[in-house]
Amino acid sequence: MTDLIAVDRVGKRYQTRSGPVEALREVSFGVGAGEFCTLIGPSGCGKSTLLGMIGGLVAPDTGRVLVDGRAVAGPDPRRVATVFQDPGLFPWRTTLENVEFGLELQGVARARRRAVATDLLGPLGLREFGAKYPRELSGGMRQRVAIGRALAIDTPIVLMDEPFGALDEQTRLLMGEWLLDIWRRTSKTVLFVTHSLHEALALSTRVVVMTARPGCVKSVLELRMPYPRAMESSAMVGLRAQLWSEIKDESLRAMGEP
Amino acid sequence: MDRVAVADRGRVVALQAVTLLALLGLWEGGARAGWVDPLFVPAPSAVVGAFGRIGRDALAGLGDTLAKTAVAYVLSVVLGVAGGLALGSVRLLREVLNPFVLALYGMPKILVLPWIVLLLGFGTTPAIVYGTIHGVFPILVLVAGGVRDVDRTLVSVARAFGARPWQLYWKVVLPAIVPTVLAGMRLGIVFCLLGVLIVEMFAGIRGMGHVLNALANGFQAPELFAATALVSAASIGIVLGLDALNDRLARWRS
Amino acid sequence: MSVRVPAVRLAILITALVAWEVGARASNPLLYVPPSAVVPALGRLLALESYPDLPASLLLTLREIALAYALAIAAGVGVGAALGLNRLLGRAFGPIVAALYAVPAVVWYPSLMLFFGLDAASKIAFGFLLGFFPITLAVLAGIRQVNPHMLTVARAFGARPAAVFAKVMIPAMLFTLVGGLRTGLALTVIGVVVGEILGAKAGMGTLINHAYGLFRTADYVALVCVTLVLIVGSDAVASVVERRARRWTE
Repeated sequence: MTDLIAVDRVGKRYQTRSGPVEALREVSFGVGAGEFCTLIGPSGCGKSTLLGMIGGLVAPDTGRVLVDGRAVAGPDPRRVATVFQDPGLFPWRTTLENVEFGLELQGVARARRRAVATDLLGPLGLREFGAKYPRELSGGMRQRVAIGRALAIDTPIVLMDEPFGALDEQTRLLMGEWLLDIWRRTSKTVLFVTHSLHEALALSTRVVVMTARPGCVKSVLELRMPYPRAMESSAMVGLRAQLWSEIKDESLRAMGEP
Repeated sequence: MDRVAVADRGRVVALQAVTLLALLGLWEGGARAGWVDPLFVPAPSAVVGAFGRIGRDALAGLGDTLAKTAVAYVLSVVLGVAGGLALGSVRLLREVLNPFVLALYGMPKILVLPWIVLLLGFGTTPAIVYGTIHGVFPILVLVAGGVRDVDRTLVSVARAFGARPWQLYWKVVLPAIVPTVLAGMRLGIVFCLLGVLIVEMFAGIRGMGHVLNALANGFQAPELFAATALVSAASIGIVLGLDALNDRLARWRS
Repeated sequence: MSVRVPAVRLAILITALVAWEVGARASNPLLYVPPSAVVPALGRLLALESYPDLPASLLLTLREIALAYALAIAAGVGVGAALGLNRLLGRAFGPIVAALYAVPAVVWYPSLMLFFGLDAASKIAFGFLLGFFPITLAVLAGIRQVNPHMLTVARAFGARPAAVFAKVMIPAMLFTLVGGLRTGLALTVIGVVVGEILGAKAGMGTLINHAYGLFRTADYVALVCVTLVLIVGSDAVASVVERRARRWTE
């Protein structure tokens, strides 16, 4: 079965004030349809850049990125939706209007987009907040609106760049469970970037571990345990140790860098 | 400065230079080819030549204008800062007078200009008075705001150390409002100059405003352009100079 | 305490009016125009006795303002957007616009009078020049303060440049823009009035000049009052619009 997302020997260089920097080198991995794939690695390993490439916001210098068999040439709102760490809600739009944004760009009729957005409020847990503005919402709520905005355009693929990174731990845990529930209901393909070992193990079907800069794939873990994951089981504890040992080296390398 | 920034700056200057040359070239070419009436739009070469002809009179006029502006400016700053200090410090005064001050500040001074000329005649006095009126209000409002916004904690700390009212002023309030006063002074100079020029155009016997008016009435386009360029350059120079002074004074601050 | 303040203000106002009345009567009523002379002058003015062509003049002034302002908005938004959206253009020409703003605008007026004559055109041109700068600078500043992440989000959802501008940039900079539009209106109005007073054939300014020239000081004050209503009224409308824009974008 061919992967829905295929990253093939992708490389990326940046020009900075102190000279050229190689962010990614020969990165190759795939994500099958319906998977929940996590990208994990130390800071600066290029995870966000990779996500940007799949989302069509950044172009690779070498290699190619394929989505559904086609090379990515720009943002493709029919196939890929993105959620960022900063929810990036438009402060002048209400929750409903923010959720509708993608649909509005695609020219969907007002009544229809309002209906889609309103239907999403329930699963988002924001039923009473449809007419509120972002400034009236908490951080967790704002991120749920951003996720709703991504879900509204009903793409097969959803990219998430550390969506819970700015939230406190308790909110993170709850949001993770909630996200899992949504994913299982909608059977989308999710590519999820995180720092958190817990999230990687609790949520994903596949974990791709990246090295420190220049980033490339260090290892891939397949996780086929049922949901909800028993995080205290011996298997899980062993997996956690294994994952941590992989990442720890890379994190130390990343920290030791000038 | 790193390579990226230097290259960028080079492109900026290059664009400015190219645009300037292109505009001048087009202007000169257009004037020579007769696309525009030389009576209304003189060629740049004619304007440059005109500098020599009007030189002495224009500079005299400019000097006169700047002298009046200087006097008006000093008055504006003294009155504006004093008034601003008073309004900013005494809460009762501020609350009572605020709408009046704002009304006077927002009122277009041009409307009282004919009356001032009626009162004070033509010449230097109305120019100085009107220039002062123009400049005093922005300074006053700015300084009053600055005094009011002085950090309460600083005042409390000073009081806790036993500072008496005049010490409070000298050691806390005045240093704290220096940036605001400087900003007001920078604003005020443009307003004073504007006021003086307007009076000179309306009812002046000397000064740049009158020179410009006379040249316009005499349809002396090249000379008018030259004089306009001269006073514009002077004005930009003064503002840039004040900015540089401001920066130097501020160096110890941030 | 708060009850006393309006009372004190009223007292000050009344005292000032009384002092003005007494002082003017005592020294030179023609020159100093006591309030008691202003009221009947206003009456004569509004009854169109002293200046029958008041409505025509007012209308002309309003038309000059409207045209000058429309031009200022068009040019200001256009140039501001060009400078704001293109980094090179902005860095090359932004400082030049700011420098020109530092020149007292009245310096350009004689050149405008030479080119356009004493007709409405020179007033429109002058009003345009005055309104153009604050609008341009506000558009420029507004664009620069837009959070770039919003633009990234819009692009990620497939928005084309035009949609990014219309759906994200404009709402994000609306508050700054409206502030600039309000300042631009105030300056355009003043520019037109100044232009008319400094030399014109028709309009409110010429009436003011006429009264001043003939020493009809009471009529002059009445005309100033009417012009003041025009100026303050236009700014009041602008401030309402600005407040509404603020509520919408906060």
